[in-house]
Amino acid sequence: MIENLVEISKEQLLSQVQSMKYDNYRFVTASCVDTGDGYLDVIYHFDLDLELKNFRVRVKKDEEVPSISKIYFCSVLVENEMKELFGLNVTNMAIDYGGHMLLSDDDLANPMAKQQIVIEKRGAK
Amino acid sequence: MSRSVIPFGPQHPVLPEPLHLKLVMEDEKIVEAIPAIGYVHRGLEKLTEVKEYTQNVFVVERICGICSFMHAMAYCQGIESLMEIQIPDRARYLRVIWAELHRIHSHLLWLGLLADAFGFESLFMQVWRNREKVMDIMEETAGSRVIISTNAIGGTRRDISKDMLLKIRVIVDEIKEDMKQLEPVFFNDYTVKHRLVGVGVLTSEDAYSLGAVGPMARASGISQDLRTTGYAAYGELDFEPVVEKDGDSYARTMVRLKEVYQSVSLIKQAIANIPEGEISVPVKGNPNGEVIARVEQPRGEVLYYLKGNGTKNLERLRVRTPTFANIPTLLKMLPGSQLADVPVLILTIDPCISCTER
Repeated sequence: MIENLVEISKEQLLSQVQSMKYDNYRFVTASCVDTGDGYLDVIYHFDLDLELKNFRVRVKKDEEVPSISKIYFCSVLVENEMKELFGLNVTNMAIDYGGHMLLSDDDLANPMAKQQIVIEKRGAK
Repeated sequence: MSRSVIPFGPQHPVLPEPLHLKLVMEDEKIVEAIPAIGYVHRGLEKLTEVKEYTQNVFVVERICGICSFMHAMAYCQGIESLMEIQIPDRARYLRVIWAELHRIHSHLLWLGLLADAFGFESLFMQVWRNREKVMDIMEETAGSRVIISTNAIGGTRRDISKDMLLKIRVIVDEIKEDMKQLEPVFFNDYTVKHRLVGVGVLTSEDAYSLGAVGPMARASGISQDLRTTGYAAYGELDFEPVVEKDGDSYARTMVRLKEVYQSVSLIKQAIANIPEGEISVPVKGNPNGEVIARVEQPRGEVLYYLKGNGTKNLERLRVRTPTFANIPTLLKMLPGSQLADVPVLILTIDPCISCTER
């Protein structure tokens, strides 16, 4: 189990991150997990005096998530990474590489995401 | 004044690995820098999804050649925590010895590259001559020089004999003596100081807000070292984080050089206190649940997020390497600098692109 893990909604994200900044926490990174049911878990990790505090936001794959890079500029690389590798729809990033930080046009889109295979019935639309 | 954009890298004589920066210049002065990574991204995190959790020890070691042991150590500590495995005391001390040997060879590699970057070839060779001694210890204790594969979930794969421990103690003392002779060149030589003092200043506030880790943070006055949390056997050894306050390239050099001496001291303490006994315990079952493991690598904090689902394969293995955390500091240090200082400035974050492009 992860200690100091709090589940929050995406609406609470920016205010929660702002309060971490106010309390002088260091932004460590964010981790994205494709749970395989059409949702992505994004865990934001913060540190103060070597104690971690984590916030989990659960979003649908195509749902928008606000960028925290206006509060913690250093999150810009990991947000671009999550956007490209998982298809996390992060909006308003301080630097947006437009999907080309790690991937080129020839690469498979969102290679870390679990691929959904939908088998359509014969005759169905 | 008109601006021009100069691409720096991915192939550049000063870079051992391909990092790419877009430098926006006004004459010889940098006004903006944008990093571009992804040139050699390998997708190792994806690979760990199809390998068994025991095989992943070898995968994570290949994230980086310089701190390979500590990648495996962080991963093993995470899985051990998830599966509630208590490793033998001897294994905890062996991990400290190999980890600190890796820190010495990483810092010596960096000090040599720095000397090479500002054109001091004889200093570069003297530093690397000492690094070779560490590589030889790796070969003698593990059978290979770079990726030593001595970590295992539940302890270590190999032991170090009593004779070899005594030999290591003598060799690290030799390294310390040799580096003490080179120290005045790094700290007092006019040309070296000219290239480092006051170059790339990162204040304590900037270092913290940009998420700097390891020697980058400690050279800016932030006393932050994960070894003080006491993982492996560090809790039983006596040491203090090496901290400098000036935040420039010179301070970062001093931190890394002093950390070589600190690692020598930690290795000698570990050798003096290492208990007899088993080096590993058997591991049964599969990991289930989530865990975060952190370790202090030569370049700073590495974070592993692991999620198991009760099968042999992990659902997610995520790594945040120290260089990934230190790249944003370049965006602060480079603007305002001269183009000629860029190679030294990039080197002072000790960039490991192999780690970043995991």
